[in-house]
Amino acid sequence: MFQFDTLSVVFVVLIVLGAIPNIFYSFGYLPHIKRKVHYQIHYFSFILSMLGVVISGNALVFLFFWELMSLTSWQLILTEVEGESTISAGRFYFLMTHFGFIFLLLFFLIVTNGDLDISFEQMRGVASTFAYPTLLFFFLVLGFLSKAGAVPLHVWLPYAHPEAPSPVSAIMSGVMLKVAIYGMFRFLFDVLYPWPLEWGIVVLIIGSISSVVGVLYALSEHDIKALLANHSIENIGIILIGFGMGMIFDTLDLKVLSTFAFIASLFHVFNHMSFKSLLFMGAGSVLHETHTKNMEKYGGLIKAMPITALTFLIAAISISALPPSNGFLSEWMIFQSMLGSSNIADTSLKLAIPFAIFSLAITGGLAIACFVKAYGITFLGLHRSTNAKHAKEVNPLMRYGMIMMSLVVISLMLFAPYYIYWFDKTLVSLNHISAYDKIFPDGVLSMHSVAVHGGIVSPVILLVALVGVTLLLMFAYKSLNVKERVCHTWACGYKTSAKTQYTSVGFAGPIRRFFIWLYRPDEHFEKQTIAGHESKFDNASYEVHVKPLFEESLYAGSKKLANFLSYWIYRLTHFEQTRYAAMIFNLMLFILFSYRIFSDNFSWATLVLESVVMIISVKVLIIGDKK
Amino acid sequence: MIAYLLTIFVLIMIAPLLLSYIKAFEMVLLFKRPISIFQGYRNFSKLMKKETMISKETSQITRVAPFLVLSPLLVTMFFLPPVVQGAYYVSFVDAFTITGLLSLSTFFLMLLGLDSASSFGGMGSSREAFISALVEPAMVLTVFSVSMMAGDLGVAQAGVNLAQDFPKEHMASFLFAGISFFILLIAENGRIPVDNPSTHLELTMIHEAMILDISGVYLAIIESASSIKFIIFASLFASLFMPFGLEYSTAIAILIFIFKLLLISTAVGVMEVSTAKLRLFKVPNLLGIAIVFAFLSLITFYVLGA
Repeated sequence: MFQFDTLSVVFVVLIVLGAIPNIFYSFGYLPHIKRKVHYQIHYFSFILSMLGVVISGNALVFLFFWELMSLTSWQLILTEVEGESTISAGRFYFLMTHFGFIFLLLFFLIVTNGDLDISFEQMRGVASTFAYPTLLFFFLVLGFLSKAGAVPLHVWLPYAHPEAPSPVSAIMSGVMLKVAIYGMFRFLFDVLYPWPLEWGIVVLIIGSISSVVGVLYALSEHDIKALLANHSIENIGIILIGFGMGMIFDTLDLKVLSTFAFIASLFHVFNHMSFKSLLFMGAGSVLHETHTKNMEKYGGLIKAMPITALTFLIAAISISALPPSNGFLSEWMIFQSMLGSSNIADTSLKLAIPFAIFSLAITGGLAIACFVKAYGITFLGLHRSTNAKHAKEVNPLMRYGMIMMSLVVISLMLFAPYYIYWFDKTLVSLNHISAYDKIFPDGVLSMHSVAVHGGIVSPVILLVALVGVTLLLMFAYKSLNVKERVCHTWACGYKTSAKTQYTSVGFAGPIRRFFIWLYRPDEHFEKQTIAGHESKFDNASYEVHVKPLFEESLYAGSKKLANFLSYWIYRLTHFEQTRYAAMIFNLMLFILFSYRIFSDNFSWATLVLESVVMIISVKVLIIGDKK
Repeated sequence: MIAYLLTIFVLIMIAPLLLSYIKAFEMVLLFKRPISIFQGYRNFSKLMKKETMISKETSQITRVAPFLVLSPLLVTMFFLPPVVQGAYYVSFVDAFTITGLLSLSTFFLMLLGLDSASSFGGMGSSREAFISALVEPAMVLTVFSVSMMAGDLGVAQAGVNLAQDFPKEHMASFLFAGISFFILLIAENGRIPVDNPSTHLELTMIHEAMILDISGVYLAIIESASSIKFIIFASLFASLFMPFGLEYSTAIAILIFIFKLLLISTAVGVMEVSTAKLRLFKVPNLLGIAIVFAFLSLITFYVLGA
């Protein structure tokens, strides 16, 4: 029923590391919540259900806990219903998570032959006899990546995370998305091994697109929690890039590189858990004090909330992949594994990988821009609203939660070799060869890339060098005994006030303008001109809304299509019963034919013949003559 | 080891000289009476004597950020390729780490811009964020391509390999990477087609806008940071794309290297007087060229082996 192998234990550690600081934070947050009992019941069963998912040993238990996890998190989103938006976000999340569940159920029904009690090893035997393993792979991708939030199944994240209470968004984004990655690890390694080359490429492409799309939409957000939710899409993309590289290397028989890429991916799973939880906690503290999620209403909070500001800064540096943070280390590993692609013989694949490198690099650059925006607009400058003016540091429990989580972030940086040792063990338990000795050949201080002539990075030495040089410079400055004078900011004659500062919309302006073909922003600009002069006005307002392209095309489009089809069928059933009956006949024909083609015996001749029969029958019986 | 430390010391010392040299050279080209090439040192010593003005609106970030802008750059100085054959060098640091350290410096510079609550600072940060986001991928791809040709991902080791055994058969991809890197050098250091370091006009400012509210010693630190950033890029260019003259004795090799740096500065100066500054929204086109050349370089290397 349950199993505790290394992979499960590593993910149990992940959940525990993510949950303990969160529990502190959550208790600090509790006075803010009205339905306390409802919240606590669901909160704790949510954590327990995630633990259940990663230690379950057969399909039935797995699906039970998976569904429990979905339902409790759905109820947690609906803890504080503040209007239509929360309800529709909850509904959207419920739909998306069950969309994925259907595919998981299909996957399990096929690989278990209907007997959901068998263990994962036995599933492997069934799966290897199944004729269409790629179908199973796509079931897994749809099932798990709709939960993890990879493009194009990411649309629910920017709605669900902002509506949930902050500790819940922290744990959903930090931990729950990783449970879906656990599913990818578990079932791709245990059930569907070995993989064709194309699967790895599919995962790599999904990852590259997710990382760029996530960070671009994060930049256009001015709701701080939606911004962070979009960053989760980006980071899941980075994790999937590592995962995809691992799969590709494994297929190409570059086993050490494959282990290296998978370790990088697992490491990024941990890193994202730590800094994203911390960021959501920081955002929650800010939200708790200012009662708004709109970044334009923050500003200058570093003075009132120093601890929140400091922990947020640590997390921001880490998520921007700046050295020597833990986020940098895992992205460095992913980069190095991609640079190992020079060992690949296949030229087309070799040419494709620089595009993945490009997407990872531009993601890094845009993430820096995004977190300068998030940090600068929220914590620096002058307060932009009265709520921000009266903000205080949050209560001790919430502070402890944030401090503990920043310790997790720092430990992931300082004790990276120790974590990597366990990730390596995990990969060994999943029948990969060990790469630990190649990553740390001479001691734990320096981390080597396993690529031929690869680079080396040493987080501790970098950290010591940076801190040392900075302290030296500061000491020199102190010893100079410079006189300091305090005065107002000089703005070339204008009065510096909260209103003359750059806003978050303004900050992202150049980037929004450059990517206008993607954003297609909905802009509203109004000004009251004075005496008809275009350039003179006393009141102006500028608003911009970006509706995600995927939502507009894929989701709204399929909604339209479904509406159209159902209306057409409705018309048939009510007014043209003969054609309706013909449609039923055609449907039966279709099912019989497809059974024959895919399950019985396949031949191209019958496929063509039967398709022709289908097309003629549909044309004659359903579509009929043009009137 | 002595040559290593000596090189770093010399490079840091001549950093302000190079920027003053560019300026003086441009003034000569424009038939103006040139400033002294020691103007950079004069500015520095003057700023060191001044008192520091700190704005009421700022927070702790302003007191910390100048140091954090400078220190990653100083650390990067230790990772550059050697200029003397046989000297000690840190062989293993790769392009991604160096780009990361430069970004760390830029990150704090951008926070500094936002800290003073002035609209200029925000404007500068916003523009810098826009440009550096597009520079990063080009930088990683270019240095990656050069490392591929040199056969080592460590930047310093790549420099040494190139100096010892220059891959003549890869001249085409080498040239493409060189073009790409020169554009990056201009973009990252805020030279003319991208940013104009000598004006204080809000339409054109990027780097200057961020530091408008900084004064005294802090300004001296930021100014030295920008000159050191220039020297980092110039010496990377010199070591990776002009890999010769390392085999002489220490003093002569360093002199040759300084000569190469002056050559690069001259090229930058000629570029500056002969082009107009681009509009901000045209800058991505230039950076797009850099990215395309970086890809071209990789593709020629992989497909044609040239």
